[in-house]
Amino acid sequence: MSNPILQVENLQICVRKKPGVLILRGVSFHVNAGETLAIVGESGCGKSMTSLAIMGLLPDAVEKLSGTIRFKGRELPITDNRAMRKVRAAEIGMVFQEPMAALDPLYPVGKQVLEVIEEHEKLPRAMAWARVIDLLTKVDLPNPETLAWSYPHKLSGGQLQRVVIAMALACNPDVLIADEPTTALDVTVQAQIMRLLKRLQRDTGVAIVLITHNLGLVAHTADRVMVMYAGNKAEEAPTRDLFLNPRHPYTRGLLDATPNPERASAQGGVLREIPGTVPSIADPMPGCRFAPRCPNASDLCHARFPDPTYEGAHGYACHHPVTDARV
Amino acid sequence: MKPIRRRFPWAFLAKRVAYGALAMLAIAIINFFLLKLAPGDAAEALAGQAGTADPAYIAQLRAQFGLDQPLLSQLWAFLVRLATLDLGYSYVFNERVSVLIFSRMPATLMLMGAAIVIAVIGGIVFGVTAARYANRWPDRVISFVALLLYGTPPYWIGLMMILIFAVTLGWTPTSGMENVLAFNTGWDRVADIAHHLILPALAQSIFYLAIYIRLVRAGMLEVLSLDFIRVARAKGISERRLSYRHALRNAVLPLVTVVGTNVGNFLGGAVLTETVFSWPGVGRLMFDAMFQRDLNLLLSILVLSSFFVILANLIVDLLYAVINPTVELK
Ligand SMILES: Nc1ncnc2c1ncn2[C@@H]1O[C@H](COP(=O)(O)OP(=O)(O)OP(=O)(O)O)[C@@H](O)[C@H]1O
Ligand code: SF4
Ligand SMILES: [Mg+2]
Repeated sequence: MSNPILQVENLQICVRKKPGVLILRGVSFHVNAGETLAIVGESGCGKSMTSLAIMGLLPDAVEKLSGTIRFKGRELPITDNRAMRKVRAAEIGMVFQEPMAALDPLYPVGKQVLEVIEEHEKLPRAMAWARVIDLLTKVDLPNPETLAWSYPHKLSGGQLQRVVIAMALACNPDVLIADEPTTALDVTVQAQIMRLLKRLQRDTGVAIVLITHNLGLVAHTADRVMVMYAGNKAEEAPTRDLFLNPRHPYTRGLLDATPNPERASAQGGVLREIPGTVPSIADPMPGCRFAPRCPNASDLCHARFPDPTYEGAHGYACHHPVTDARV
Repeated sequence: MKPIRRRFPWAFLAKRVAYGALAMLAIAIINFFLLKLAPGDAAEALAGQAGTADPAYIAQLRAQFGLDQPLLSQLWAFLVRLATLDLGYSYVFNERVSVLIFSRMPATLMLMGAAIVIAVIGGIVFGVTAARYANRWPDRVISFVALLLYGTPPYWIGLMMILIFAVTLGWTPTSGMENVLAFNTGWDRVADIAHHLILPALAQSIFYLAIYIRLVRAGMLEVLSLDFIRVARAKGISERRLSYRHALRNAVLPLVTVVGTNVGNFLGGAVLTETVFSWPGVGRLMFDAMFQRDLNLLLSILVLSSFFVILANLIVDLLYAVINPTVELK
């Protein structure tokens, strides 16, 4: 079962030229072929930075300090734009949060899908175009031949996100990173898009990294979950395990703030805030970054950062893990 | 694969042509009354030229020109003349105004065409380069030079260019459009005119170039920060393609408007350059008309110029809709 296709090891990202201001403080995780890994955590904890780092698309204002990202065992040259171009879309596709702003307003949507294929594969125009139509059909867009020539402003948010998904999967990547792919959409459309992603995953075997605030979505779609807090990995576990038996107090807080994650999407189960605030990324606290908000915190927590502990596939970074299971 | 054709916006076109015609009419009427406000009239001027002030002769000329008619019928006659492109007579140049203007037109078209083409190409190349290397040295150099050119009077640039390239280095002629005494024909003549054209075209283009570079750079920086650029990057396409195919096409929209204005204003735009380089175009004709108080000639050029401005505006709006599909022409 465990067949890591993407491995992130001790990834540290800081504000450019400020190694003390850490956005990611040494994050390690892996994604297995064909699985869905959900990444959850409060706003600003570094979820998007993690995915942008994998794509080699970090903003100019930040830089990688240390760590490696391996794809199929090979280290990704994430600072080499030219080399990363061959990885983007071809091996790792990405879907972003805002479908309304994701497409160039001046080109028909089909052309923008075509652009991906033409960039990565030497195909005759007609064959590439046939593939565009096929892709638009597969993402359940109506009248693909006509729709391909529509401009983005004529499409709804849900339709645009389908086009973006078609674009991201056009060259059959092995991994799809979806950074809050449904946050900007209506609830009913959200469910449709998630069903589409799962169906495409079944058909193509693509691994999905799903970044979301929606625990209901996680419960329904993810195989494993990684919980992040303030630039660290707090906990990681198979989905069921995490929901039933969270070990990190932060995870526990998140779950308790969402009455019933199994039915949370129907209740609009978005992460609710835990009292207190996240420490600033410039704050050089030596211990656990959750300590100021943690009910279990001790002097040890404030003094020393907890090393990760593993119980099989379930890992957490905490000195005093939660022991009682949720009911 | 076959794109869906958008229907040609006939209704929009008809509406704009009607508006344009109305605007032209208003401009012509205003110009007519400006002419009437000026002291003296054509009859007095012509009689003066003939060296007589005989009231009977002047009255006869007035009757001949229709100047004894009521003002409104004179206005009507004027508008009819305009509509048939009969702009009257220039007593200074001893030639019909329309003949005068249209004989000068090719020179101006050549100069402004070359200048604007150079400026658009240069503005795009330098503007895109500056934006791609924002705040690094290529941008610093380009932006500094653009600012310098923007702040320098165009005629001064022209004079300096004559001094350096024509007088000191002797690479180009100092003025004029061709070496008339050489009696060149065919390709020799074309080469000779091109040789004369280089300096004035460059001098004129520098004025536009400074504006275009700044416009393209600012537009590019704005577009490059948009979401769809990051999405396009995630598709693995090259930075060059990203810049020219996605960012530039979006960033160029404001440039289209400004270039359109400059093109529409081509008759008056080159007055200084044509004067500095003794370029025999309409701009210089306008300058001469101004100094010799040839009011009719001057106003004719202004009316014609307003026609081109209106026409260029219409073309810009049509073009804008072609480049930007989100624009609906109504
Ligand atoms: N351009 C930047 N320069 C400096 N710091 C940045 C920049 N962009 C983001 N950050 C910082 O990086 C941290 C992580 O941001 P990131 O976008 O990864 O958060 P996130 O987990 O995706 O949050 P959200 O759920 O709101 O999308 C934030 O604390 C933010 O302050
Ligand atoms: S290490 Fe201490 S402060 Fe941090 S989460 Fe665990 S118990 Fe809380
Ligand atoms: Mg984010």
